[in-house]
Amino acid sequence: MSYADFLEGEPLIITAALTGGVHGKETTPNLPETPEEIGRVAAAVEAAGAAVVHVHARRPNGERTFETERFQEIDDAIRRRADDVIIQHSTGGTGAPDDARHLPLRTDPAPEMASLDMGPLNRYDHLTSENTRGLVDSLHAEMVDRGIKPELEVFNDGHLNEVHGLLERSDLAEPVYATLIFGPGTLTPPRPRNFLNAIDNLPEGALFNTLGFGRHQLPFATMGTLFGGHVRVGLEDNVYYRQGELAESNAQLVERVVRVATELGREVATPEQAREILGL
Amino acid sequence: MTCPYLAYRDESDDRRFDEPRAYCTAADRFVQPMRADICNDRYDLAHDRHCEIFLEHAGTDGGATDRRTGNAADGSETGGDE
Repeated sequence: MSYADFLEGEPLIITAALTGGVHGKETTPNLPETPEEIGRVAAAVEAAGAAVVHVHARRPNGERTFETERFQEIDDAIRRRADDVIIQHSTGGTGAPDDARHLPLRTDPAPEMASLDMGPLNRYDHLTSENTRGLVDSLHAEMVDRGIKPELEVFNDGHLNEVHGLLERSDLAEPVYATLIFGPGTLTPPRPRNFLNAIDNLPEGALFNTLGFGRHQLPFATMGTLFGGHVRVGLEDNVYYRQGELAESNAQLVERVVRVATELGREVATPEQAREILGL
Repeated sequence: MTCPYLAYRDESDDRRFDEPRAYCTAADRFVQPMRADICNDRYDLAHDRHCEIFLEHAGTDGGATDRRTGNAADGSETGGDE
């Protein structure tokens, strides 16, 4: 994908990352945590223009869980309230054991998409989420078995090497879809030239999604729109609307990026269009 | 073993929650859910090896490490874990 794709008018897929697993209501009361809250918010972001919702599961006290049953409750709530939005489960995070990382893939029906972290990333001062190649391969194999489209999460340029390695080891259904992630710590430094380099290093024909953490969310979403990619916004990755002002909702962040895309002349994809683009 | 500084509270100062949430009595604040994994020694994590707040409070060496990691007001990460 490239600037030429922007000029040719490929519809923009907006993913809304609703809740995440790092922070909770102690950071912002506007973050959905319960299945019903997530279901309501999924409907709101779909109405605002999101085609995909990226989903994590929480215990009643806000702490994260990988349990299939909790993802099932969330999916059921989303399907009750939203029209046609694509559900994407997270498989990433912390030091959770490999077996737990598979559990979000086992709902009925399976999610249409699931995230696949492409390598390690640091957390705090003494914690690393490892994401070994063995885990990547086993998660991908189960996604293939269950007909789930992987969203390859590229936290830094080294993970681009891992994308190419995964392609050599496994048959990935086309088109390859990778999320390029920018921010602090183990992530690619959030500079425009790094974004262009990352795009250049993607496999031929791959589609990309754009994710900037914190204050980089809107600028990178705008660049991703212009560079012919797709974008992800939401309270998982950024809790502020502008400096010092908490975002009111996930939908508020989606509405803003819809306005940007519209001003730039890029059509926003419906869930049906997104399924066609992603080959779901 | 759960961190000795972990408590579950449903209110503190101006914050109130329907369900009691992880609260760090060493740092005097509610903690992020991902940090609660460490507080609870969940997933083979251990508060005395993986929590810089515990290490600093207990007077060991872990709290002196470089914390140039995040973008939140308290210096912790707020980005997603995918």
